[in-house]
Amino acid sequence: MRFIIQRDLLIESIQHVMKAISSRVTIPILTGIKIEATQEGIKLTGSDSDISIESFIPKEEYGLEHVEGIEEGSVVVQAKYFPDIIRKLPLKTVELITDDQYKVTIKSGGAEFHLNGQDAVEYPHLPKLHTDNSFELKNDLLKDLIKQTVFAVSTVETRPILTGVNMIIEEEHLDFVATDSHRLASRKIPLNLNNENISFKNVVIPGKSLIELNKIIEDNEETITISVTENQILFQTKNLYFLSRLLDGNYPETSRLIPEQSKTIVHTKTKTLLQAIDRASLLAKENRNNVVKLQTKSNNEIEISSNTPEVGQVNEDVTTESIEGEDLKISFSAKYMIDALKIIEEDHVKIEFTGAMRPFIIRPIDNEHILQLILPVRTY
Amino acid sequence: MSKVIFLVDMQSFYASIEKAANPSYQNKPLIVSGDPERRSGIILAACPLAKQSGIKTAEALWEAKNKCPEAVVVRPRMQLYIDVSYQITKILEQFTDCIEVYSIDEQFIDVTGSQNLFGTPQQIAKKIQQAIFEDVGIKARVGIGPNKVLAKMACDAFAKKSPDEIFQLNQDNLAEKLWPLPIGELFGVGRRMEKHLEKMGLHTIGNLANHPVKWLQKRWGINGELLWRTANGIDESPVTPSTHQEQKAVGHHMTLPRDYQKLDEIKVIILELAEEVARRARTHHYIGHTVSVQVKGSDFQVRTGFNRQKKLASPTHFDMDIYQVALQLFQKHWDGLPVRGIGITLSQLEKAEIHQLSLFDDPLEKIKLNETMDVIYQKYGPTAIVRASSLMTAGQAHIRAGKIGGHDKGEGL
Repeated sequence: MRFIIQRDLLIESIQHVMKAISSRVTIPILTGIKIEATQEGIKLTGSDSDISIESFIPKEEYGLEHVEGIEEGSVVVQAKYFPDIIRKLPLKTVELITDDQYKVTIKSGGAEFHLNGQDAVEYPHLPKLHTDNSFELKNDLLKDLIKQTVFAVSTVETRPILTGVNMIIEEEHLDFVATDSHRLASRKIPLNLNNENISFKNVVIPGKSLIELNKIIEDNEETITISVTENQILFQTKNLYFLSRLLDGNYPETSRLIPEQSKTIVHTKTKTLLQAIDRASLLAKENRNNVVKLQTKSNNEIEISSNTPEVGQVNEDVTTESIEGEDLKISFSAKYMIDALKIIEEDHVKIEFTGAMRPFIIRPIDNEHILQLILPVRTY
Repeated sequence: MSKVIFLVDMQSFYASIEKAANPSYQNKPLIVSGDPERRSGIILAACPLAKQSGIKTAEALWEAKNKCPEAVVVRPRMQLYIDVSYQITKILEQFTDCIEVYSIDEQFIDVTGSQNLFGTPQQIAKKIQQAIFEDVGIKARVGIGPNKVLAKMACDAFAKKSPDEIFQLNQDNLAEKLWPLPIGELFGVGRRMEKHLEKMGLHTIGNLANHPVKWLQKRWGINGELLWRTANGIDESPVTPSTHQEQKAVGHHMTLPRDYQKLDEIKVIILELAEEVARRARTHHYIGHTVSVQVKGSDFQVRTGFNRQKKLASPTHFDMDIYQVALQLFQKHWDGLPVRGIGITLSQLEKAEIHQLSLFDDPLEKIKLNETMDVIYQKYGPTAIVRASSLMTAGQAHIRAGKIGGHDKGEGL
């Protein structure tokens, strides 16, 4: 194998595949990066067997030549050293040459490295997905879906299924749902499907996979193709192939947990509320649960307060746009509230309460597609 | 001025109480033993007369009877012993207000400030012995030192053997008295540690005291340094009136009446323990983040069993939450061999001030149910309501209700 490549493109590709590489894997060769050179271009692969990522650098693109002098071949290099070497090389281009002992020579300017590699034949084959269960989405929309839900997945393994995001396609809508059982985040978008038959309910994507995917895909209007099989999901763009395992088990039915009626409805400015909660939580951070109290008052005001006896207390009256229904006094985790309000881009939110011991719902006004649900805490 | 700390220790505490309570036993060898029909049928205490015949605490009752057939055997009355221990604390309060109850029959007291009132340390110690003997009829031994560690070793290694049952250790006589003793006599050295130290050539307390502390630190970390300090009589810890200020864990352990082999029977016990732990956590208003399970196998030679723990998704003080996790842990780690004892502990406690509600189980129902049960327990005792499973042969709830620390509760003072 031999080629000369633009160094910045190689660095970007390495950064992508590194997202899948872990030093704690059962198959030792997976600690390496696989490099394949063909006449079309260079392909890098990284995998920890839960997530596999392929990044492709085409020989030519938009009339620009990215790679020259390609002699076909492949090798696996050690991910511990290879990325740093490439990053610190002196010139804009770098030349890679392998010999029959899988030794990789890396040249750039006067610098020359000889790095031991491994036979690429030893590297496991990534499964090729054969499925008609595919649909397309714009990059930026997928990033929104991830950002607005993934923070709510569970971080403890008590119920492993809750560490994933539930992806549902039903009635021409795509819905992402995540919950750690104390709060729930859901984002829905309408979907124009070419394939009428596509529909699934129990697809659960590991939260970690989505977080990594979100780092890699660019925030633009290009299209990403999503294909789903029994136990894997593939996200594919022109030069990227991101494959993740799906979580086993049944995701709990969440739609019936969302209250349909409410007793108290508060309309308020998103930022105003977010900042007040954030201030109140400054003192609440001391106690492990970070609890703040919300109380409705007259004149469309709500009082946000927090009391940590060892530290001190804070009260703040927030003027809202309107308060309808019963008076209310409720305590909840400031962190959950901040998480929920942060992902809402709209200026105004509607909060629907059904009593101090029942879950409450936060939605942007005029956008039924975003839903944040929080369970209160009971104070003694 | 250096401090004056006493360790006041009761001679054969349980046996002495029984003898004081029943003068006709005064000149007979007496032993306090658990129920011979059950696992707890071991010698809990033996009076000095009985000990002369070679009886040792913790041996089986039948072994003790072989050695001394004429011994009077009495069953323990745990509540009485707790009451007497408290009575002794009250006596000690006449001499100082700085008392740390160390165990049921040992109490640390700081008499530094009492010397102007009651005389020299030797004189105070004598007065304390007299007061205790007159009030409860029990002989007390007093170890005197400038700190707790030396007081404790003065008592264990010397006061118990000296005629007036008082002994003082301090930096002046440390090297002469304490250092020649074998390493096993050092406070904090168990049987296993004794072997390790002997392998390093440290046979006496003096050997250890003069061993470079950094090598000990390297091998045992902070514990190595602690042992070295103990051997040199260095101890900064004050006598703290209540050592149990912040509780760290709530746990219960049960030695079973026979070895349990079937999972179904063990489940009954795990549930009973989970209930007890949960109930106690609730009474003290704690919730805990971690559940651990300790299992002792039946074979003493091959130490089987395990101690495993798991962190919960959210803190709890409810029996079923604890039970589920404890059972999971048990099933995951149990080797299937007969089980002699099981313990369950709830740790990483915090005050139960708030409870984060959850989507998938209705905690409100659970909270109300448990609050109601707690009221019933408080009013009618721990067996007013028990689970049906506790009525099966494997159940122990009713038997345990009459016990303290696994032994008969008896009548108190």
